[in-house]
Amino acid sequence: MPQILLEHVDLEFHVGAERHDTLKSALRHGIGRRRVEPRTVKALQSISLSIRSGERVGLIGHNGAGKSSLLKVMAGIYPPQRGVVRTAGHICPLFEFVTGFEMEATGWENIRTRALLLGMSPAEIDEKIDDIAAFSNLGEFLDIPVRHYSTGMFVRLAFATSTAVDPQILLLDEVMAAGDAAFIESARRRMNELMERANIVVFASHSLDVLPTFCDRTLLLDHGRIVADGPTSDVIEQYSAHLGQPA
Amino acid sequence: MGHPMRDVVRSAGLWHIWVRLGLQDVRLKFRRSAIGAAWIFVNLAVMVLSIGFIYANLLGQQPREFIPYLTIGMILWTYLTNSIVDGGNAFIHAEGYIKQISLPIYVYIFRAFVSISVTMLITMGAFAIVAVVYRLPITPSTLLAVPGLVMVMVSTLLLITIFAHLNTRFRDVAHMASVGMQVLFYVTPVIFPAALLRHRRDLTLVVELNPMYHLLEVVRQPLLNGVAASWHSYAAVAAIILVLAAGAAVVIAAFQRRIVFAL
Repeated sequence: MPQILLEHVDLEFHVGAERHDTLKSALRHGIGRRRVEPRTVKALQSISLSIRSGERVGLIGHNGAGKSSLLKVMAGIYPPQRGVVRTAGHICPLFEFVTGFEMEATGWENIRTRALLLGMSPAEIDEKIDDIAAFSNLGEFLDIPVRHYSTGMFVRLAFATSTAVDPQILLLDEVMAAGDAAFIESARRRMNELMERANIVVFASHSLDVLPTFCDRTLLLDHGRIVADGPTSDVIEQYSAHLGQPA
Repeated sequence: MGHPMRDVVRSAGLWHIWVRLGLQDVRLKFRRSAIGAAWIFVNLAVMVLSIGFIYANLLGQQPREFIPYLTIGMILWTYLTNSIVDGGNAFIHAEGYIKQISLPIYVYIFRAFVSISVTMLITMGAFAIVAVVYRLPITPSTLLAVPGLVMVMVSTLLLITIFAHLNTRFRDVAHMASVGMQVLFYVTPVIFPAALLRHRRDLTLVVELNPMYHLLEVVRQPLLNGVAASWHSYAAVAAIILVLAAGAAVVIAAFQRRIVFAL
C-alpha cells in the first residue's frame, strides 16, 4: 500500500558552512568541526504527517514556507537532519520537466533518457513511446536534435514525456504549461489523467482555485511548520484570512 | 535512511539508466565534430608519435619497443587521471539531476565510470593497431591483460567514488589531485622505460613503491611481452584495491547524506 509517513522531521541548510567550505578552512579549523558561525536556515521544523493510499493532498503557503523542501524530503532528495521519513511505493517527483534533456540529442533519444530517469523500465518505454510522440505532435522533428526546436516544441516534448509515467506517489510543484491555447487545454487534460492514475498525489500550488477540485486535504505551511491540516476549503479559508491581514 | 551501502547497491541495480547516460556522455562529446569519436584516436596518436620518436632517440630506445610501451602507458595514465579529475566532478556535473530526480546518487558515479571507461576502451583500439604494426608477441599469457585491466577498472571506480565525494565537499581537491598526478607522471615509468630507473640502485624504490607503476604493469606486461607481470605488481594492485575500497567506504559513510547539501 503506497504511503508517506514523516515523524518530527527537521531539515536545515547550512549556508556558509557547506557551500563555501574550502579544504584550507577545514584544515585550519579541524576536519569535521564546524566553522564558528555557519548560517543555518531551518527549512522544515518538526514536521509530522501521514498520507495514506488514495489521498490527494495540497500544499499551500508563502514563498519560502517550505513547500518545495517538504516535497523534496518526501522524494528522498534531501535527507533530513533529524526525524524519520518512511515511504512505500514508487515515488515520482515532477518538479520540472526538463532534467535529463540534452540539446544535442534527438527527440527520440531524449524521450528515452527522460523516461528512464522518471523510473520507467525500457519495456514500459517501448510500450508508451508512440503515445508520447503522438501527444508531442512533433512528427518527424523527433528525428532531429532538440537544439533545433522552438521553445514551444521543446515544452511539448518535455511535457508529453514527463506525464507518461504511472507513479504510485506523484509529487508536483507548481506545474505550469506553456504553449498555444489548444496545447494548454490538452495539457490540462493530460495532467488530470496523470493525477487520476497516481495512488497518492501531493501537490504544491499557489492557485487557490485549482486546489479544491483536486485535493480533499490541504496542508498550510509557514516558516517550515505545518500550521493547518484539514479539508481543503477550511485551510484555504484560513490562509486567505491570513493573507488579508497586514504582515 | 538505512545503511549507507544500500544506496550503492540500489544504484548498481539501475544499470540501464547509468549505462545509457554514460554512453550518451561519450556520444555527445563528439556529436557535432566532423570526425567524432575518432578525436580520441587522433589525440593519442599525435601524442604518442611526437613524444615517441623524440624520447626513443633521447633515451636510446628502439621505436619498435618504445612506441607500443608508450601507447599503452599513455592510455592507462589518461584513464587514471580522468578518473580522478573528471570523476571528481561526477556529482557536481549531476547537480541538476540530484536535486530534481529521486535516484540514488551513486547512479552518477557509475555514469562517470561508464563514460571514462568507454573512452579508454576506444583508445585500446589504437593500441591494437600499434600491436599489429610492431608485431607484438601473442602468447596464452597475453590474456592476463584482461584480469589486469579489470583490476585497473575496479581501482578507477573506487577512485571516482572517493574523489567525487571529497571534491563535492572541498572544491580544491580535484585541482590538488591534478597537480599530484602531474608530479606522479614524471616519476612513473610512462614515457621512459622502468629499466632506466632500475639501473640506478638508489632510484629502484621510486619505481617499486609507486602504486601507479604497478597498476600500469599488470596490463602492460601481458600486452607488450606476452608474460605475466611480476608478483610484486599483483600484490601491490591487490593492496591498492583494498586501500581504495576502505577509503571509498569511509567517504561514503561520512559524506553520503551531505552531498546534496554541498551542491
